[in-house]
Amino acid sequence: MSREYSRRVFLAQTSAAAGAAALVASPAKAGGRPLAPSLPDVDVRKAALDDPTEATLAEAAALIRARKLKPTTLVEAHLARIDAFEPTYKAFNAVTRDAALAAAKAQDRRPTGVLAGIPLCVKDNYFTKGVATTANSFVFAGFVPDEDATAVSRLTSAGGIVLGKGQMGPLATTRATTPNGVVTTVNAWTPTNIATDPGGSSTGPATAVAGRLATSAIGTQTGGSIILPANQQNLTGLKPTMGRTSLYGIIPLSFTRDHSGPIARDALDAAIMLTVMSGPDEKDPRTQGLPDLPDLVRAATPVLRKGKPKMRRTTVVGVPADYLTGSAATLRKDFLAVLAGIEGIRLVDIAYPDDWALLTGTFNDARLAERTEPFRPYLQQDLKLFGVSVLSWLQGLLLSGDEWITAQRAKAHLIREVLDGPLDRCDVVLQTSVVPFDILGLPEIGFPIGFNASGVPVGAILGGQPYEEDRLLEVAAAYQAATDWHLRRPVDPPQAGAAARAFAAPLVLTAEEAAAQSA
Amino acid sequence: MAIPSDAELDTLIRARLALVGVDLDQLPETADPATGSPTRAAAMESLRTFLAGPKVNGVRQGGRPAALSFWTPPATGADALAKAQQAAPPLLYPSITEAWTEEGR
Repeated sequence: MSREYSRRVFLAQTSAAAGAAALVASPAKAGGRPLAPSLPDVDVRKAALDDPTEATLAEAAALIRARKLKPTTLVEAHLARIDAFEPTYKAFNAVTRDAALAAAKAQDRRPTGVLAGIPLCVKDNYFTKGVATTANSFVFAGFVPDEDATAVSRLTSAGGIVLGKGQMGPLATTRATTPNGVVTTVNAWTPTNIATDPGGSSTGPATAVAGRLATSAIGTQTGGSIILPANQQNLTGLKPTMGRTSLYGIIPLSFTRDHSGPIARDALDAAIMLTVMSGPDEKDPRTQGLPDLPDLVRAATPVLRKGKPKMRRTTVVGVPADYLTGSAATLRKDFLAVLAGIEGIRLVDIAYPDDWALLTGTFNDARLAERTEPFRPYLQQDLKLFGVSVLSWLQGLLLSGDEWITAQRAKAHLIREVLDGPLDRCDVVLQTSVVPFDILGLPEIGFPIGFNASGVPVGAILGGQPYEEDRLLEVAAAYQAATDWHLRRPVDPPQAGAAARAFAAPLVLTAEEAAAQSA
Repeated sequence: MAIPSDAELDTLIRARLALVGVDLDQLPETADPATGSPTRAAAMESLRTFLAGPKVNGVRQGGRPAALSFWTPPATGADALAKAQQAAPPLLYPSITEAWTEEGR
């Protein structure tokens, strides 16, 4: 019983090898590093032909491969939108204009990979060689790394072009604010209402992609900061299984819970980005000895039968008991109806373990000691360096080692409860909170399912088995083939330039609010 | 056991922070918009609440460390605690452990 996950994978692989019926066919494997996904020649929409900032990553790459779009043209188009709308959005902590243009010209002359010429926003907690990396905190003011984070290096080696560093919550805690708590970045869907939650700490990268200031982005997630901004801004965010992507060169919030992954326009874009980012890294032992990366691009390429999407594999989707509650209940009900209508998807009800609230709620506090530990020298130097975020770092100093170890034991108990419980009954499971799978390091994908009455996007969160990001992408891609939510873009802010940012009053988080909202 | 008084909590907090070289007096006495730092008083109350819970009718209800400290892995029978010691060994990275130990690959 304790190895149910293994049995499921084993049966799937065995049946495929034996040429059994394709109900549980094994996904294709892409093998080890370096990964160079083979991109499909997608049909490019007219909107993307008319305006390259409208294009998905896959569309832009197809146009560049076909020499119908030059990297410099694509980069310049995004820089023009940055000039016009960044004063309103405040999605970037820094824009690296000159370097981006130089890189684009180099890609014009000699494309170097699958991301050749693709403009990217990189969250400001990823090391970027020669470019300030502040994690938006006084702690790292003036810090200029002498190397790139592994993920950044892989993206740029594949031809990706960094337009700048994405604005973020100080040290990856809250929505993006200055280190002293003044809210910076708006939700691209409500640029005149700063109060609208733009999601977690990867706010800037999400707003950049939603506002068409970048084609794609990378964020980090410790308590929802890839999935939630994707949900809040009509994007597709993919938090991979722990170890799938290297964390080397990323300023830590929690060593056991930090994840890096893409915030993208759709499932296919997320698959391309994650494929480039992922794989073993000798600088991060957590990436070693793990299952091969499945062919994510294939997984995110929908299969159509008579114009309607169908699943590559029969997929059972678990629906928790509380899924149709709360303000999003109607949208979720519609979402489930669409899922249920896709050939190859079956919905099943699942129940939470009895101690779910304790182990995923109260035990969430164990992360606080992990954030404190690498920052202790700074805490000893000057508490004011932590600005509005200091309280949760101080709280971490008050947890004892034995309590932290107890929380690690609780993880061991919880993962068996999840894998032998809900995930024994289904292949993927819908989530009402990001925290449980952050604690366990299990993969999650967030994707859009509609808009609330205020016009703010609403998304679904789907969690999966360890290292089965492909299954998550298959579901999201099939859903996106049946709907068009992911193709909708926010209208531009009503005014360009600095004058557009005329809120009635600045929004400032207090230290208590920052601690309560902390990832 | 009774939950410690605020005075006892203050002593604990200041002693613990002092032992690891952290000086709460670096925080301002009044609000400091330039840094966003909380006041010393606000920080002390936040840490009291973290340790012992919020006050309801003047009485603290129990804090975060206690919530973690009273959990043990489930075990049943006459020697439940002895069995619980052996259950659920600590895992920093449960998904990675699952991949490293699972059968059939």
